[in-house]
Amino acid sequence: MAEDKYNLKNPAVKRILQEVKEMQSNPSDDFMSLPLEENIFEWQFAIRGPRDSEFEGGIYHGRIQLPAEYPFQPPSFMLLTPNGRFETQTKICLSISNHHPEHWQPSWSVRTALVALIAFMPTPPNGALGSLDYKKEERHALAIRSRKAPPKFGSPERQKLIDEIHEYMLSKAPPVPQLSSSQATKEQAGNSDGEAEVNQQDSVTVAAGDGMPNQAEGDRVLEEEPVAPAIAMADPLPAEIRLVARGFPPPVLTNQQVQRPQTRVQKSSDDRLLTWAAIGLTIAILVLVFKKFMKSSGHGAVFMDGS
Amino acid sequence: MQNQEGAVPDGEKESAISIPISEFDDWTNFADDDMMQQQSAIHAEEANKIHFVGDKEPLSMLAAEYESGSPILLEKIKVLDQQYAAIRRTRGDGNCFFRSFMFSYLEHILESQDRAEVDRIKGNVEECRKTLQSLGYADFTFEDFFALFLEQLDSVLQGNEDSISQDELIIKSRDQSISDYVVMFFRFVTSGEIRKRSDFFEPFILGLTNATVEQFCKSSVEPMGEESDHVHITALSDALGVPIRVVYLDRSSCDSAGVSVNHHDFVPTLGDHSNATSGSTEPARPFITLLYRPGHYDILYPK
Repeated sequence: MAEDKYNLKNPAVKRILQEVKEMQSNPSDDFMSLPLEENIFEWQFAIRGPRDSEFEGGIYHGRIQLPAEYPFQPPSFMLLTPNGRFETQTKICLSISNHHPEHWQPSWSVRTALVALIAFMPTPPNGALGSLDYKKEERHALAIRSRKAPPKFGSPERQKLIDEIHEYMLSKAPPVPQLSSSQATKEQAGNSDGEAEVNQQDSVTVAAGDGMPNQAEGDRVLEEEPVAPAIAMADPLPAEIRLVARGFPPPVLTNQQVQRPQTRVQKSSDDRLLTWAAIGLTIAILVLVFKKFMKSSGHGAVFMDGS
Repeated sequence: MQNQEGAVPDGEKESAISIPISEFDDWTNFADDDMMQQQSAIHAEEANKIHFVGDKEPLSMLAAEYESGSPILLEKIKVLDQQYAAIRRTRGDGNCFFRSFMFSYLEHILESQDRAEVDRIKGNVEECRKTLQSLGYADFTFEDFFALFLEQLDSVLQGNEDSISQDELIIKSRDQSISDYVVMFFRFVTSGEIRKRSDFFEPFILGLTNATVEQFCKSSVEPMGEESDHVHITALSDALGVPIRVVYLDRSSCDSAGVSVNHHDFVPTLGDHSNATSGSTEPARPFITLLYRPGHYDILYPK
């Protein structure tokens, strides 16, 4: 890394360089990510499709943009490899990425975000912008295709990095398995094509996908652990990172039951505010009434002097 | 999904080396960014109104603010006026407690040149570092914030190469890249303390938000801009071993016997440090005094 090129006094640069170092000294088989040589705020990454899903064996490339205010502001993610879950070259909506800037926190990192992204892949899109809801067979076919060649994108410099990352991931990722019957498309509401087969719900992924639409509106918070055993890795945080489809209630960081304390927190502070406003108003009204009363009974002057 | 990104050639070849920021423009073509832009516009607006840390103002400025307001508050301000000389406002961005604490503490060290206190707090900071490590935080996620705080601490002690004056302290406290880092340092310390002593804090947190300790730290302590409550203050005061006085200016207790202004001293509990001389003896008056008005903290200066 050309460290001398950057102002090491800049806290964002300092932090990013540390993350690069950390990423290099603790490589993962599930993802690989490096900044461009000429701009450490621009990273390339590839993730491996999560196991036991129709993405298994796929290698999905993307780019990351770190803001100048990093780590106070979240990174942006964008996929480049067609995958059937996210549109390519469109910012991905994760609570950890910048569509929910209020939920990002500086103790997270690019690593945390990539782990979250992997976990997010098999979750149902619930109509979130930038999400795709391809059938499992199509996603499976894209997974196979994703290994053949990395996407063509950007400058030669960037392309070189993409190619290197692809080589690395190929060496780590086992080939795409056959799509087992249990993983094949389940008929989903609004997406039925006549082509769907009836299957047992023995895949965690499918179960998670089916469970969602039945849940109450407010509970449409995606719990990611069931689909992501890999998430409980070295980093202590990912297990709690909750990914939420855009437009749904704010995420809750928990590994327990689905709850909505986040909303409660906001509610309670809203409530407190309202209470104060109400108290303030009441006092103001009382004072006014009192004043009026004093004035009308001719004691106004006395009262004013007295105070 | 309007997506012009595909057609945009990768511009970083030409521009990246000197100004990495320029490539950010690529990403502004998305409708979703409107929301974020609006948000940062609000922040900018707020920033124009008041610095992170304002200038010291005589307490009469506070009275002026309520001139046509509640007589109870005016009475209370009169009471305050007997004990306190000045107020220093902080920006109401949800970080005001931490920001007030930061400035007040560093200013105290700058004025007192209390090296023993600096050595003491450094011990506590080391302890906090260990706490975070034992809780499983990756070093690189908090290291910078710790380093920056220690740097500020050293700089307010005079006689070093990079010692700073009061004016420089104010400038630094208004510099986002320093101010926010120190605030974040306090948030890490607070979160670590709450998690470490989760049994102690749990009932308070439950009473406050109905969230678990873990959820509370994730949603109300670590993210920037989340407001502080007595739980935060207790945890920070305990973790760093710094007593804090909070004076409450609200409309409560308006009995005819005359108004009084409540305050509460957060006195650090005896942790695993044997530094506390406060055992049963009269604890020293906290050197940090904050004025609390519902939803906001500012710094108060005693007479």
